[in-house]
Amino acid sequence: MAVINKPQLVKDFFPRFKRGAIFLIIILQVVILLSIAVALQYFGFFNDNPLAFVGTLVAQSVLGVIASLILFRFVAQPIKHLLAAITHIAGEPTSTTPPNPNEEHFAKNGFKPVLQTIYQLAADTPNPLAEGEAQLNKATSTGVIETSSKASIEGALDATICGFVVMNSDRKITYANKATPLRVDQNGVQSLDLLFNENDTIDTWWDECDKNAVRAENTWPRITNKMPNEEDRRYFDVIASYNKGTSSEVVITLIDRTHLYSVGEEELDFIAFAAHELRGPITVIRGYLDVLQDELSEVLQPDQKELFHRLTVSANRLSGYINNILNTSRFDRRHLKMHLAQTTLADVYDTIRDDMQLRASSQARSLAVTIPDGLPNIAADTASLSEVFANLIDNAIKYSNDGGVINVIATSKGDTVEIAIEDFGIGMPGNVVSNLFQKFYRSHRSRESVAGTGIGLYISKAIVESHGGNISVRSEDGKGSTFTVSLPTYQIVADKLKAGNNGNEVLINNEGGWIKNHTMYRG
Amino acid sequence: MAIKTILIVEDDRFIGEMYVRSLKKSGYEVDWMVDGNDGLIAARNKQYDLILLDVMLPERRGSEILEALRGTEDLIPHSKVLVLTNFEQDDESRMAMEARADGYLIKAEITPSKLLSVIERLG
Repeated sequence: MAVINKPQLVKDFFPRFKRGAIFLIIILQVVILLSIAVALQYFGFFNDNPLAFVGTLVAQSVLGVIASLILFRFVAQPIKHLLAAITHIAGEPTSTTPPNPNEEHFAKNGFKPVLQTIYQLAADTPNPLAEGEAQLNKATSTGVIETSSKASIEGALDATICGFVVMNSDRKITYANKATPLRVDQNGVQSLDLLFNENDTIDTWWDECDKNAVRAENTWPRITNKMPNEEDRRYFDVIASYNKGTSSEVVITLIDRTHLYSVGEEELDFIAFAAHELRGPITVIRGYLDVLQDELSEVLQPDQKELFHRLTVSANRLSGYINNILNTSRFDRRHLKMHLAQTTLADVYDTIRDDMQLRASSQARSLAVTIPDGLPNIAADTASLSEVFANLIDNAIKYSNDGGVINVIATSKGDTVEIAIEDFGIGMPGNVVSNLFQKFYRSHRSRESVAGTGIGLYISKAIVESHGGNISVRSEDGKGSTFTVSLPTYQIVADKLKAGNNGNEVLINNEGGWIKNHTMYRG
Repeated sequence: MAIKTILIVEDDRFIGEMYVRSLKKSGYEVDWMVDGNDGLIAARNKQYDLILLDVMLPERRGSEILEALRGTEDLIPHSKVLVLTNFEQDDESRMAMEARADGYLIKAEITPSKLLSVIERLG
């Protein structure tokens, strides 16, 4: 058998084609140049002014090559785009983005329908290997069978417990079977009645696909249609397929996993229940330590006092961990509520100031807190937000060295108030930073050397974002880390509310403040 | 008006004694009841300045006591109420208690000295 020495991939064709064309252009110009030179020599034109003649000829050839290349670029442009589109349809690995028919210049030069046709054809062509599909295709080619087949397929789809949804490129539902949970708005528009996480919905994924993909698929596990305690609560694994520019641009399958996940829900309830149960003994330990330290303050030796401090610090930390677990379980079950009230960063910090100083000093760290007067007020759930600061300061202590300095600095930045927690400890490499806020994430290094659950930063992020703020980190391996929490000022939150822009993502008005209520979120 | 008399309704012996001890040391006059029925009776018989009310109680839940105290037929506006709990409710019953009480505190977060400063601010 002959050795196949030709490109095997679609994407390999164009570079090869381009090389061939450039080679041809240059060769042709050289041949023309030589032919003219030979002719001129024959007729004796070179004898008068040979240099001028040669110069003119060479210049003409160079300009000819340039002109031809420009012409080639223009003529080959559609081929290039076509091949790029086909490369993506073929699913070949490539670093280029697929040509998007919605781009303006494609609409201007009339190439848009070409791309749309290609994408449409690619989506409509059944995979010849799938025998069943091929038969289906045959069946739909004759009218009589088409009707009965379509009806029977729809009947079959309605008989399953899994949801099946087809959406067009305007993001309207064109088909949904019976098992799909749907809601209808006042204008009669149907949409999926599912509760996605705020920043990870089908729409955000679709936006991403419109920009970067021709074909794509995504899965959202454990998506439910109802709030806890509501009737007929079901759980789905949601799988969506995207085919750019086709009449059924997104097809969604909802696999019913209720029997599997509703058990998990009970486990989450158990975690919350167990964590609550732990609070009883903690109350006693913290309370009696407080009472005893007070009553014994006269007789305790300095070293004994230090032991009491350590007991207090440990009990406080334990209490903080329990709050992290409780808040995480609430957040994951959409039970988390933030009671936002007008306050100042200084007042929030004051609730944990003594505890933080004790934590730092008993672990030989020096904690310097700078919260200037006159910072704008913020809208905060004091208990939750102080827990965030405690988590960040605790981390700064954990990941720095004996004698280390930890700076907590608050500043006003435009419409936000920022608080930065800075340590000069072990720091982190970039790959760790990028995963830091994921649930249960612990870096390889800290797994081996530092205790922790991996939920502190996860829930801190959730709490800060529930305040309408964000949390960021800057770190250098071996030099330390700075975590920055930035929160909108009270005025910004109040204005947002007044503007009536208090849909799902914002806030619910409440006596004396607002509630960021995750249980109300409908994504 | 300064707070002088305090009623504690708390079924956990360790926690109840802890509050009694710390509050008495600070000069308050303190009564302590361990179940909901006795708690409500005591609250009706004597006009306390402050009632520290647990939520999970035998006989009568804290929310019922609060409703009885603040309800129309049995108005005791004189007594301030601090709800103390370790089981935060996520639902309307918590909202209702928060609306009716003068404070809703997590026991595990409120050490006796913190509680004293809360009471001072209330009074």
